[in-house]
Amino acid sequence: MTSEEIVEKLKASFPDDIQDTALPQGDAVIFVAPDRLQKVAGFLKDDPSLKFDYLSDVCGVDYLNEEREPRFEAVYNLHSIDHQHSIRIRVGIEEDNPSVPTVSEFWKGALYPEQELFDMFGIHVEGHPKNERLIMPKEWAGYPLRKDYPLTTETVTFSYNRDFKSDLVKSKPPTR
Amino acid sequence: MSVTEQGLLERDKDTMTLNMGPQHPSTHGVFRVILEMDGEVVKTAEPEIGYLHTGIEKTCENKRYVHVIPITDRLDYLNPPGNNLAFCLSTEKLLDIEIPERAQALRVIMCELSRIASHLVWLGTHALDIGAMTVFLYCWREREMILDLNEEISGVRMMTSYIRVGGVAKDATRPWLDGIRDFIDYFPAKVDEYEKLLTKNPIWVDRTEGVGVFTREEAINWSLSGPALRASGVNWDIRKSKPYSGYDNYNFDVPVLKNGDIYDRYRVRVEEMRQSRIIIKQAMEKLPGGDFKTPDNKVSLPPRETLHTSMEALIHHFKLVSEGISVPKGETYVPIEGARGEVGFYIVSDGTNVPYRVKLRAPSFMAIPGMCKMMEGCYIADVVGIIGSIDIVMGEVDR
Repeated sequence: MTSEEIVEKLKASFPDDIQDTALPQGDAVIFVAPDRLQKVAGFLKDDPSLKFDYLSDVCGVDYLNEEREPRFEAVYNLHSIDHQHSIRIRVGIEEDNPSVPTVSEFWKGALYPEQELFDMFGIHVEGHPKNERLIMPKEWAGYPLRKDYPLTTETVTFSYNRDFKSDLVKSKPPTR
Repeated sequence: MSVTEQGLLERDKDTMTLNMGPQHPSTHGVFRVILEMDGEVVKTAEPEIGYLHTGIEKTCENKRYVHVIPITDRLDYLNPPGNNLAFCLSTEKLLDIEIPERAQALRVIMCELSRIASHLVWLGTHALDIGAMTVFLYCWREREMILDLNEEISGVRMMTSYIRVGGVAKDATRPWLDGIRDFIDYFPAKVDEYEKLLTKNPIWVDRTEGVGVFTREEAINWSLSGPALRASGVNWDIRKSKPYSGYDNYNFDVPVLKNGDIYDRYRVRVEEMRQSRIIIKQAMEKLPGGDFKTPDNKVSLPPRETLHTSMEALIHHFKLVSEGISVPKGETYVPIEGARGEVGFYIVSDGTNVPYRVKLRAPSFMAIPGMCKMMEGCYIADVVGIIGSIDIVMGEVDR
């Protein structure tokens, strides 16, 4: 199916659940609210003419700097191996108590990227077997890929980088 | 947390907890897996990652598009051109520019050479893990030739950064083309040599056949990709299904096998090396002339000699060097077939010269839960074989 056909079919099947659709550069993109995600995901996987059986990726985006609501977004890239077509689901997530239901019941491959969603953005994934840190250490504070998380540098004892050097000289004069 | 708190030393249970990694040489980097053992049989395998986390995605959000390309080299460090290409294709889709045919052919040659190099590292280390030392030395010998070719074209042996937004870094040189011609004549006999050592070797077959089996449905559901998926009987290669960089102009086969065990993954990858050589051969035969990067001066630098005579060129040069490429607002994802499977960058642009969000879809990262699922019920000696057969690279797992 072409991207237009996929979008049209979904619009007709879920007039109330799909918030919006788009076709940027020919990709099929649908916008879904978090509470309708599982309903739409189940249909996408099971419908014989769509059959999105392969989950490519789940990724989070923090739209803090942009003037838009809601702040977070989870993006699901799906692919159908039999029909060789793809779709992207964008799920907007509110800033207060950000949470999204899991899709790992449909695609086991979602387990890791969803855990990463919690680790990097602090988005709680409802129904996920492990809502804990994946890449960062367990005791880490803050969610690194949020836009309000500062980009900092680590102090090192020696560096050829001029900025590091000047900092070091100010804080601790080198002793020989 | 101490060892006792984690339950590693509990004596009043039937199973034993065994820690493997992150310093274990057969985990191919810093991958840690906690195995719950019943005698010699693995009951559960709990992966633990993050030891190589360097915050690459966060770094990319604070660098210009041009500066991101050398960082992408460090993700999957065995197949850097694949990552460069994935990033450039996503950026070019947002920019909506056409890439000259010569640049596309050079990209294909570079990617396929690096796929061979990556598979050679995989074959060597995988065989070494299972106990075949000789293959390792032979594979390194051939990989060295590819690294020398990389040095000739880009000045660097591994982190080439050769593929750039709008084309490639520089045009093909005569010694590089001659070197590739020598290599494609030399290489097939060497692949036969590896196969002679392994394919019918009874020890190799005993250790790999029927071990770490994943059915077609499981492999799809657990998001395996690339050779590991094709060994389970799924005929899906992005070079064929969604051709990019002119892959539809080349005539090659996609090896697909049914059993989904370590042996089939081995055979798929060995055959892929042969097919990659065929693609390089075709690309060399019909290497088109013309530009090696797009003539659009908003994306690629104008030729040096025009700066003295053309004010337009001087302005473009100044803007590109001081500001970099500005990418129109939007979001996109372009998957490509890397050496390990589907690689793609999900890029969100806010219209400036710095990407708003860069997310790598890493095949190794997505394969880890499935790989640990595969280990359940296997013997402990097969765990290293399974890790080797999925061919994980921790650089792109932890990012």
